[in-house]
Amino acid sequence: MSTVDERTPEAEEPENPTNRPAGMHLVSRWMNRPYARRIILLTVIISAVIIALTFVMVAFMNLSGGPASDIQGEIEKTMYVLTFTCAPLMGFTLAIITYSWWGGWGKVKSEEEPTEEGPAIRTNGVAVVAWITVCSLLAAFLVIWGLVELATITASSYGSVAANQQPNSAKAIDINVTGQQWLWSFEYPDQGKITSSELVVPVNVPLYFNVTSLDVIHSFWVVEAGVKIDVNPGAITNTGFTPNKLGTFNIRCAELCGLHHAYMETNLRVVTQEQFESWVREQGGARTS
Amino acid sequence: MSATTTGTAAPEPLSPTTGETVAEVARRNRLGIWLIIVSCSTGTVALLVAYSYLWSLNVSSGWAPTAGQANWADDWPFWAIALGMVLATVLLWRSWRVMQAGKSGASVALAGLASLIFLVCFIGQILQIATFPFGPQDGAYASATLWLALANCIWLSLAMFLATAVMNRARLGRIAPDNASQIQFIAMFATYLCVAALLGAVFTLTMKASPNQSSPPFGTFQN
Amino acid sequence: MSDTAVIYEQKHVPQPRQVGKPGGFLHRTNFVTAVVSGIVLAAIFYFITGAIVQKVTGGGQQNNLSLPDGLQQQITMMYIGWIIGFMAGIGAFAGPIRWMLGHDLTHADAEYMSGKDMGRKKFWKYTTDHKVVGIQYLIVALILFGLGGLLAMLIRTELGVTWAEVFNPNFYNSLIGTHGIVMIIAMIIAVTGPLGNFIVPIMCGARDMAFPRLNALSLWLLVAAIPPLVSNLLMGGIRDGWTVYQPLADQAPVGMIGYQICIIVFAFSTGIASVNLITTVVTMRARGMTWSRVPIFVYGVVGSSIMGLIWFPMFQYSQILALSDRMLQTSFYTPASGGSVWLYENLFWLLGHPEVYVIVIPATAALLEIMPVFLRKPLFSYKLAIAGIFGIVGLSAVVWVHHMYMTGWAPSSNYPFMMSTEMISIPFSFLLLVMLGTMWRGKPWMKLPMMAVYAVIWNKVIGGITGVYLSDTPVDQYMHGSMFVVAHFHFMLMGAGLFGAMGAIAYWFPKMTNRYLDELIGAIGFWTAFVGFQVTFFAMFVAGLQGMPRRVLQFDQAFNIANWISTIGAYVIGIGMLIFLYAMITSWRSGKLAPGNPWGAHTLEAQTETPVPHENFPVLPVVTSDPYGFGVPDPYELLDSAELQAKEGVSKVGAS
Repeated sequence: MSTVDERTPEAEEPENPTNRPAGMHLVSRWMNRPYARRIILLTVIISAVIIALTFVMVAFMNLSGGPASDIQGEIEKTMYVLTFTCAPLMGFTLAIITYSWWGGWGKVKSEEEPTEEGPAIRTNGVAVVAWITVCSLLAAFLVIWGLVELATITASSYGSVAANQQPNSAKAIDINVTGQQWLWSFEYPDQGKITSSELVVPVNVPLYFNVTSLDVIHSFWVVEAGVKIDVNPGAITNTGFTPNKLGTFNIRCAELCGLHHAYMETNLRVVTQEQFESWVREQGGARTS
Repeated sequence: MSATTTGTAAPEPLSPTTGETVAEVARRNRLGIWLIIVSCSTGTVALLVAYSYLWSLNVSSGWAPTAGQANWADDWPFWAIALGMVLATVLLWRSWRVMQAGKSGASVALAGLASLIFLVCFIGQILQIATFPFGPQDGAYASATLWLALANCIWLSLAMFLATAVMNRARLGRIAPDNASQIQFIAMFATYLCVAALLGAVFTLTMKASPNQSSPPFGTFQN
Repeated sequence: MSDTAVIYEQKHVPQPRQVGKPGGFLHRTNFVTAVVSGIVLAAIFYFITGAIVQKVTGGGQQNNLSLPDGLQQQITMMYIGWIIGFMAGIGAFAGPIRWMLGHDLTHADAEYMSGKDMGRKKFWKYTTDHKVVGIQYLIVALILFGLGGLLAMLIRTELGVTWAEVFNPNFYNSLIGTHGIVMIIAMIIAVTGPLGNFIVPIMCGARDMAFPRLNALSLWLLVAAIPPLVSNLLMGGIRDGWTVYQPLADQAPVGMIGYQICIIVFAFSTGIASVNLITTVVTMRARGMTWSRVPIFVYGVVGSSIMGLIWFPMFQYSQILALSDRMLQTSFYTPASGGSVWLYENLFWLLGHPEVYVIVIPATAALLEIMPVFLRKPLFSYKLAIAGIFGIVGLSAVVWVHHMYMTGWAPSSNYPFMMSTEMISIPFSFLLLVMLGTMWRGKPWMKLPMMAVYAVIWNKVIGGITGVYLSDTPVDQYMHGSMFVVAHFHFMLMGAGLFGAMGAIAYWFPKMTNRYLDELIGAIGFWTAFVGFQVTFFAMFVAGLQGMPRRVLQFDQAFNIANWISTIGAYVIGIGMLIFLYAMITSWRSGKLAPGNPWGAHTLEAQTETPVPHENFPVLPVVTSDPYGFGVPDPYELLDSAELQAKEGVSKVGAS
């Protein structure tokens, strides 16, 4: 009996040693290189550090009592999402410079002259394609996330909408914000046109702001509510949010407006419905809606 | 300035400062003029943007001239000046062609005539500015229109200088048939100036009354 | 027509008639005559304007600033007189006047103007030699950085002294604005000025730039523009940020006019320089230097110049119209009479955004040029680098509104501009890949230029992620106008831009000065500044996250700690930068002499002697390959193919 297999045709190329796809063989062979595994390890460690730091960042944002609205909550969520998705790429970049700096591929000291040359790698198709794909997908994800988030905070809380859009909730409180050098004044047209220099509002009620300036550009920043809109002379801009936490928060001017820009601050006081109504009465107004 | 020597074939004219061929230097200068035109165009766009943006906004109802209702500037001076510039530019192009053909005398005359027409346009532009039915304080239209005219004034004074220089240089033989491209560069720039002037004329003709007639008064919340 | 001159390669070229001595009027002009005639004409214009205003208005001039009547007009004309007088005094008008009169330059004139055999004098005159102009730009940049740095120390002192107001708020607001604009101007010229002028023509194999006289013009216009800007601090200050938003800028006293005149003139300087650079690279490359053999640094400088060329007039006109509002009472930006603040913001940011790439791209491209030399490997994916640079150039035109997300000017525009802003990260990622790919498996030679690469990549990563946050409109809603933004752009413009420029200058220092930059002292200065930089601006990120607005001199107690730390870091930066400056100065005067090619580079400028001969090349070079021919065949590839040969007994090239 012949031991030669005469039925199976001759293979034209050497066959793979295992059943894994051809690419994997190359990947695992690449992973055998000493630097490859170390860089991957460094990437993981650095990415983890970056992800951990995100929590620290958001903690700093909340030191003054925030988040005081859903919008700020969305902003913080976005910080997490943006950082987590970018962390691997950041980690990889920092891993490479760290590995190179610490001499993973060798180092020529400053006092010496280089005696050898590195590998003449002009390009690497796999690396280029992979990198561009990953970066494009990442950018696309960031765009889509950003667009959706922007639409969310705009629609649900009237953030930065066109000046002629009407608030769509009957219960919303309209507030006219006037910025001028160097103070804020808030007028409540539906509460008997009372004016105040502090923004006092009831919790969990949507607020809609019409904002204008009497002189130069200011910026109306309700810090812990994550809301900001420029205060322009000659134009009316709008924003809004629903405060979801009781307390006293900060409103600061975020656009240089002259001598006392640094002092152009006031308070946002979020109070209960009863406290709000009694405050309105104290200011000489009455609920008209 | 170059010289042709005796012999069957005239050698390539060379630039006296660097020894390169005049054609090489001309190619460089032409690219330089193109780049200058690109940069200047942005400036023109800035003025046109200012005009059209303020027209569209009509902030605090301040677009129309406040010195009398709807006191728009006359249209015909814009077009007259622009067309004068076009004529002068055409003469400059002609001057270049004629110089290439070897007739330097005609070239000088054409350049001189172009320079004269630019002077007339310049005077006309000043007269137009002086006779606007509004002053610079009279609102946004007045401001934007004034600046379109002022910018044109500045460009015209530059054009006068350039055309006069071409005429003088051609007269002295510094521009000769073998380096006629110097006239081409000036004609190119003058063409850009015409485009800017024509665009200004179009904008002031078509965008007078603002489409936004409902701006809130300054500092109030009325819509 | 009787004379001929012998030029370079022994060509005899007929010359026009020599008018006067070679060099003509420029024999009499230099920096001193320029300053004197500038001052004289400024004074003349000031007094004549005053007299005219008196006559025309009888002293009853109305203005909106409670200033002595006509002072604004006088100050404006004074600055204009300074500019015209200075330029006349340096000899800038000689060119156009000679041209009009037909007194064309001879070769002898051109040689005089290029400062041949003139010694140190040539640095004080209207010299056309690109090497001289490069050094002059370097000096101007150093002066601007010194001034900007001093202002920064004052700013951080105010912010560190949290228990008192060191300066009055108007002066503080002027400090921050002046610091900003001085640094922006310094950064714009930092790489393109010294290196774009000195190195690029040699790197292209040319003898000089395309328009040598315009080269001198662009430098001296810059020099003329600086005193008006700096003098603002003595004239009441600009009291506004570097963006001088209207209508606040209208409230500033006459110092603001200095700012406006500076920008108007600086725009001309930059535009002319851009025209020169682009034309040089396009038309004057050596034979054989096809577009695929052009060094990447040249591409970077060209890309930056294209952006500057196209967009600078926007900034220029924004200031012209602001000056018009002030002087003629037009209402471009005064809303009460039809003007729009949004018009200003758009015109400003249409330049304002491309400008940051004008700053960052040359520094990045310089590092891309440095890396192959110090890693002895080819540049990774050269074509991708070019695509990255020009992708940024193209996209830079359509992202400006991300500075205006919060203005309310067109809220629905936030969507497409958020998209374009995210998209621009893609060409940036190309450049990052090129850097990482070049660094990959390379053995770094740890000299100062190479060390800068690590510093810059680190700073770019931080600047990049914080940029991603800011580009997201919802997040920007919290961050805009806070110190977070300030820290972000310092990481990009200073962290990547300035530290990159320092690396580039360290790299080309031997070529420009014939001496090595002292490695030890330079490195101490560099890394001290780097450490101080991290401390300063990470603390600033914290202040921003906590909710501290920008451009404030007093603030909530909660921000005290962050500001104290930031101020200490700033002083450390100051010390580091001074050490680096000390290294530059001492090395320049008495450092170790350097050969023509101290680093072993393959670019054309490295093949010239040092000091570079007056005409750069005795014979113009011919190029046969790109300058990245470093490296040996990849050992892994050889290993793979050897393995396969052993295994299969078939000759086959392995894949990596």
